[in-house]
Amino acid sequence: MSAPSHTPAHHAATRPAPRATKVAAHERVEIDMTVNGSEVTLRVPPRVHLADALREQLGLTGTHLGCEHGVCGMCTVLVDGAAARACLLFAVQCEGAEIVTVEGLGSQEDQHPLQRAFSAHHGLQCGFCTPGMLMSSYDLLAGCASVEPEDLPVEMSGVLCRCTGYRGILAAVADVAAEHPDGVPAPRNCRPRTLVGRGGPAPARAGDAVPEARPPAPVEVRLPSGAPSATVEVRTELGVPVEKAWEVLDDFHRLAACLPGAELVEVLGDDRYRGRATVALGPVKLTFDGLAHVVEREGRRMRVLAQGADTGGSTTQADIRLRAEPTEAGGTVLQADAALFLSGRIAQFGRALAGDVSRRMFEQFARAVEENARTGRAPAGPVKPTSALALLAGVIAARLRAVVRRIRRSR
Amino acid sequence: MKAPPFAYVRPATLDDVIAELAGGTGDVPSGKVLAGGQSLVPVLAMRLGRPATLVDINSVAELHGFEAIDGTGAGALRIGAAVRQRTVERADVTRAVPLIGMAMPFVGHRELRSRGTVVGSLAHADPAAELPAVAACLDATIEVAGPAGRRRVPAGDFFAGAMTTGAGPEDVVVSVDFPAARPGEGFGFAEIARRHGDFALAGVAAKVRVGGDGAVAQARLTGFGISDRPVTRDVTDLVRERDLREAMTELAAEVVDTAGDAHGSTGYRRRLFGVLAARELAKARGRAHTSAEEATR
Ligand SMILES: Cc1cc2nc3c(=O)[nH]c(=O)nc-3n(C[C@H](O)[C@H](O)[C@H](O)COP(=O)(O)OP(=O)(O)OC[C@H]3O[C@@H](n4cnc5c(N)ncnc54)[C@H](O)[C@@H]3O)c2cc1C
Ligand code: FES
Ligand code: FES
Repeated sequence: MSAPSHTPAHHAATRPAPRATKVAAHERVEIDMTVNGSEVTLRVPPRVHLADALREQLGLTGTHLGCEHGVCGMCTVLVDGAAARACLLFAVQCEGAEIVTVEGLGSQEDQHPLQRAFSAHHGLQCGFCTPGMLMSSYDLLAGCASVEPEDLPVEMSGVLCRCTGYRGILAAVADVAAEHPDGVPAPRNCRPRTLVGRGGPAPARAGDAVPEARPPAPVEVRLPSGAPSATVEVRTELGVPVEKAWEVLDDFHRLAACLPGAELVEVLGDDRYRGRATVALGPVKLTFDGLAHVVEREGRRMRVLAQGADTGGSTTQADIRLRAEPTEAGGTVLQADAALFLSGRIAQFGRALAGDVSRRMFEQFARAVEENARTGRAPAGPVKPTSALALLAGVIAARLRAVVRRIRRSR
Repeated sequence: MKAPPFAYVRPATLDDVIAELAGGTGDVPSGKVLAGGQSLVPVLAMRLGRPATLVDINSVAELHGFEAIDGTGAGALRIGAAVRQRTVERADVTRAVPLIGMAMPFVGHRELRSRGTVVGSLAHADPAAELPAVAACLDATIEVAGPAGRRRVPAGDFFAGAMTTGAGPEDVVVSVDFPAARPGEGFGFAEIARRHGDFALAGVAAKVRVGGDGAVAQARLTGFGISDRPVTRDVTDLVRERDLREAMTELAAEVVDTAGDAHGSTGYRRRLFGVLAARELAKARGRAHTSAEEATR
């Protein structure tokens, strides 16, 4: 086996030793480090390892944890340019260190060559080992003059894949090694940004401005280009005449009052509205601050663009078309088509689930419109945010029904 | 699994390290040295140990020393206690001690060697670890500092049993000196593990020196993973005179005394040891000849 030869220049291996310190077992200590190009300050007791600090304090959950004693390699990150087990390193040891996690390697829009190769070679099945594999292979190929394909099984043995995805993984690494004989390009997604995790915003450093907890509310809705994360088409029959139903939709105050979990905060003019919406789903609870803009009104049709961001870095945009038509029985068919664009943590919902949840919310909205139209007045308070349990139960029931139907049909 | 709570100290001087280690409650020092953490942290995570204090030695400037030194006679490579395995693995000066370069790829995985230290591996003294075997085979010298001052311990006396060394709980290992290879010396290293990066089921380190006449002047063999510590034998006579394979099979019966486990019986380890020892001694002898020829050219 020929060991790969490395040029040390690519590795920022040496940094001045951190200052002397002493921390009691239950005392929290402030640690300054650079994570994916951002300077952060953490407050942790000594026993918290780096992987937990990254995941729980900074919301960087790309670093996975398997064994927590150094065997599986899931937690591999770059520390001062070299791959290391984040579960075998206490955060308190990382004073002044430069950390790169898989989030820093590349972004969805600008993937690192390794990420593209893993995808092209089907180097991931469940994806649990993928962050570790990516960071380990980056470490192997960065600044490396040569890695022979026959050395890869040994060189990549520090990370375990439970899905036996090794063939694809090794093929991906071999590909990138061949393409970049002088070393792979540097991580692509390292730049200063506000990292905010589940534990709330990182404490500000003395003298620093307190980071903006909520992104400033936009004044224009901009829809991303590209395919939406999910599309929803819903038709619901309401037992009220179409004129009554449309009255509700035509008055944005009444419409907003019917939106589950939504609250109208400010009327901006030009048919633009600032609002807040809360979605609670199981352990998930997101509060979006955002803007809705009615861009078209024509007859009993309207088109609304909406945009919201929550403090956890999730954003959502929607292009919604609403239409009300009379039925022969004197009721109303309410129809909605929506294209949803999700990014950030919320995007981890599968497309199907995002669609299901949106559909349930629309049905709830339609019921509220019907109620509002019937009583002729705006409800006293806003419609409650969708209850997690009810919503989930509804989603599961709907899925079960679909499965049963499919089974029946296939008989 | 998370580590239990501990106090954390990161002194800037060796004296402060020693003072922190001595400052336990009662008679028993309650501090542990934290070097690379690649063996200590798993122990904490599995709750196999609960030291009250971890004394991180990584900010002690003196312990970062890594250099070729001239001893009396031949040179040596001195590696300080805070020097990472990966640094040693990649440094040009390490070529002075070829056995380290042969052994290093087997020490865990790349991602562990970026944090793990050479000295930490010696201090941890796992019976199946590679670097203690290298130190034993080359008869390296280990410098230990404690409340009573400093002392230098030959590797042969340092490893006292599984995870037991000549360094006491109040001591800190400062550095290790590996003698540099001289002309006419050749080395061999091999191990068998269930998976690359795992501890060895059995392994050997070999060193052979040939004289000006081309005859073997000295041969040393160290086995690891075969007993509760690295076992070193002078095998000069065996290499000179006899069928190597047969001689090593006999030696295996004598030195391999580790109990069998789920991964291999004692008999299996004896077979591994015999095969690896004969093969690596033969390679080391061949390399020694090459080295002697190059020196006379
Ligand atoms: C999955 C896995 C696989 C591994 N495989 C191997 C392998 O195949 N071969 C192998 O050799 N090792 C292996 N290791 C162990 C490890 O990689 C290290 O090489 C080494 O044993 C520990 O070095 P360290 O610097 O990390 O020491 P630490 O973990 O910091 O310390 C280990 C012990 O030594 C003591 N110590 C450390 N430095 C000093 C000092 N200067 N003075 C006094 N006491 C000190 C500590 O108090 C502690 O008790 C493996 C580890 C893991 C997690
Ligand atoms: S979680 Fe760190 S190695 Fe398994
Ligand atoms: S893809 Fe599932 S563990 Fe590797």
